[in-house]
Amino acid sequence: MAAGIHAGLSLKDARGALPGLLTEQIDRESDAAALLALADWMVRFSPLVTTDGKDGLLLETTGCDHLFGGEAGMAAALSARVSQAGYGHRLAFAGTPGAAWALARAVAEDGAPVILPSGAERTGLAALPVRALRLSGPVLTLLRRFGLTRIGQLYSIDRKALSRRFQSREAVEAVMLRLDQALGARAEPFAPLRAPPDYAARLPCPEPLSDSAGISEGLSRLTEELCAKLSAHGLGAQGFVFYALRSDGETRSLTVNMARPVRKPAHVLRLFRERLDRIDPGFGIDLLLLEALRTAPMEAGSQPLSADLAMTITDLGMLSALADRIQARLGEARVMIIQPEARHPPDMAERRVPFTGQLTEDTPPPPDTLPGLRPIRMLDRPEPIDAVAEVPDGPPLRFVWRRVVRRVVKADGPERIAPEWWTHLPTPGSGVQAMPRARDYYRVEDEHGHRYWIFREGLYDDRRGSHPDWFMQGLLA
Amino acid sequence: MDIATLKARGLIRPVTAAPAQPDAFPYGLGVQGVHEVAETAYGHWAAATGFVLGMLHPTQKGACLWICQTSVSRDAGHIPAASLQQMTGGREPRLCIDARKSAEALWSAEEGIMSGAVRHVVVELEEADFTATRRLALASEKHGVPVTLLLPHSCSGATAATTRWRVGTQLSAINRHDPRAPGQPRYRAVLERCRSTPAAVGQAFDLEWNDETLSLHMVSGLAAGSAAPRPAPSFVTRHGHQRRAG
Repeated sequence: MAAGIHAGLSLKDARGALPGLLTEQIDRESDAAALLALADWMVRFSPLVTTDGKDGLLLETTGCDHLFGGEAGMAAALSARVSQAGYGHRLAFAGTPGAAWALARAVAEDGAPVILPSGAERTGLAALPVRALRLSGPVLTLLRRFGLTRIGQLYSIDRKALSRRFQSREAVEAVMLRLDQALGARAEPFAPLRAPPDYAARLPCPEPLSDSAGISEGLSRLTEELCAKLSAHGLGAQGFVFYALRSDGETRSLTVNMARPVRKPAHVLRLFRERLDRIDPGFGIDLLLLEALRTAPMEAGSQPLSADLAMTITDLGMLSALADRIQARLGEARVMIIQPEARHPPDMAERRVPFTGQLTEDTPPPPDTLPGLRPIRMLDRPEPIDAVAEVPDGPPLRFVWRRVVRRVVKADGPERIAPEWWTHLPTPGSGVQAMPRARDYYRVEDEHGHRYWIFREGLYDDRRGSHPDWFMQGLLA
Repeated sequence: MDIATLKARGLIRPVTAAPAQPDAFPYGLGVQGVHEVAETAYGHWAAATGFVLGMLHPTQKGACLWICQTSVSRDAGHIPAASLQQMTGGREPRLCIDARKSAEALWSAEEGIMSGAVRHVVVELEEADFTATRRLALASEKHGVPVTLLLPHSCSGATAATTRWRVGTQLSAINRHDPRAPGQPRYRAVLERCRSTPAAVGQAFDLEWNDETLSLHMVSGLAAGSAAPRPAPSFVTRHGHQRRAG
């Protein structure tokens, strides 16, 4: 500043004024990420936080300030925290987002927060320049041209007169909207970054936690509290997020997911405990938060005392608990069930889907998909083999699979499985060439007693491509 | 003082004795305890799977926890539900777990045993050492859930499992409907280790799958193996005259 360097100066001029100037390229992406992280961290002051432009944060503090002993206390706490994390800041409290924006940008200084009581916007903003109204450059130029430099000057101007003078309907609209929003005459929507959870519990720590025993104890208290809340409303949650807010402005979080709604504290704690050591306390954690996600009513059913009366012997609740524990340790989507699919190719007739607390319905498959003898081990994808076979549709006499020659002594087939023509509707020009080919499946046994399920992709005279190829689909029992 | 505290202090305990160790085939496989089933050589994984499925007791109802190490399923494929239904008859629910490492598979198996939600745990994995099998054996004994480990041919050495079987495939039985087609699958299971009946070690069992009773039967090689069907007499010779139309 002393050397005459200020924002807006070009780099060359600045270098000329001060040859030893240290410069650094601006990194917008990192700045944006840091702002988002700071916004996350602000959850300690209010659950409703959003970013404002490239360098601003907006907090809805209604009902939160009394926790800090009023707005002045909150301002002091916020200011102390943010400066501790190493950020310069300007802070303003007002009854409307527009007024707070104006005050923070036009009046507040670092270390000197401004607090405007609700309802005093009209007088509080009167002396501020119009650029504090969140208007675009051309509109500001227009206002300056008419000599309107202070917000207070706009109060007395008749709106009709203003629109006559401006001759640009959009500009008038913009000025009026921003003025009304700042004064609270028009409501302004507030879109928080994260929707506040319906069920959450928080535990501020007077003394920052720095060891895992403390975190674990805090988590178990929060879980008890949250599960009691859920239980009082007859709900369970399918996910829990645990936030540890560190005093240096960093946030660490852990998420656990369940197959079905849960509200048993011991189960939730068990899932968290698998990964609790991943939370690095750093210089200390001073706020713990636990949120419940995807809450749903829990069916409070009682188990039949006699196992004979139960519809099924499998206890889905216990099975889900097992799946949750395994997924918490091994990772998501590692517990699967097999779901039948109405598809022709045998490798697509079943699908592995993540277990979501429901087992496959106990319905018999429709008669036309009743399988013949199917392999006991199905390869993940068919493996090409070199086969010598009788033309056109004899079983192979010998073939090479995984580099070993196998001589066929017994064979059975073919079982023809037609392609799904409806998945490959031909385009007018493509003709029959592009159609998928039928598969002829054979059950064969080699001289050592290994039994295989192999198929020939295509027929010799189907005119859908060249020579048919042979594939290994699976191993028979 | 409630029952749990009394139990914890050792003041009361259940009067039922520990189940007697079975001393006949299949030595408790699929019923109680930890059992290892290994292939005799590379490529016999399907036979080992068939042996395990044949030993799953169809009378026991409940979900089955099937843990498979990814490297195994990549090499040998997975078990389709259709063939599981063919082999075991029922459509029992099965929870499949992908484990990347042996340690993950063994940990999941122990969780499954202790959960009380499954009636049988099957683990397909590359290796299991003595400590791991001992842990599983203790958990299985405490909770009464049988565990079957499917291991590759390379497994050897000490184990805490009740038995270790070596299973290989054999030429299939004669197909009565078509002599050129493969018939019922046959396996040869050799008892390599047996804690309850050490005298039985080394015994070999020739087994044949029966798709009507859904179980494995012991066969004698001679009596059932060589009875090839004769070609059926033609219609003309049996009746002695041509059947006239009309």
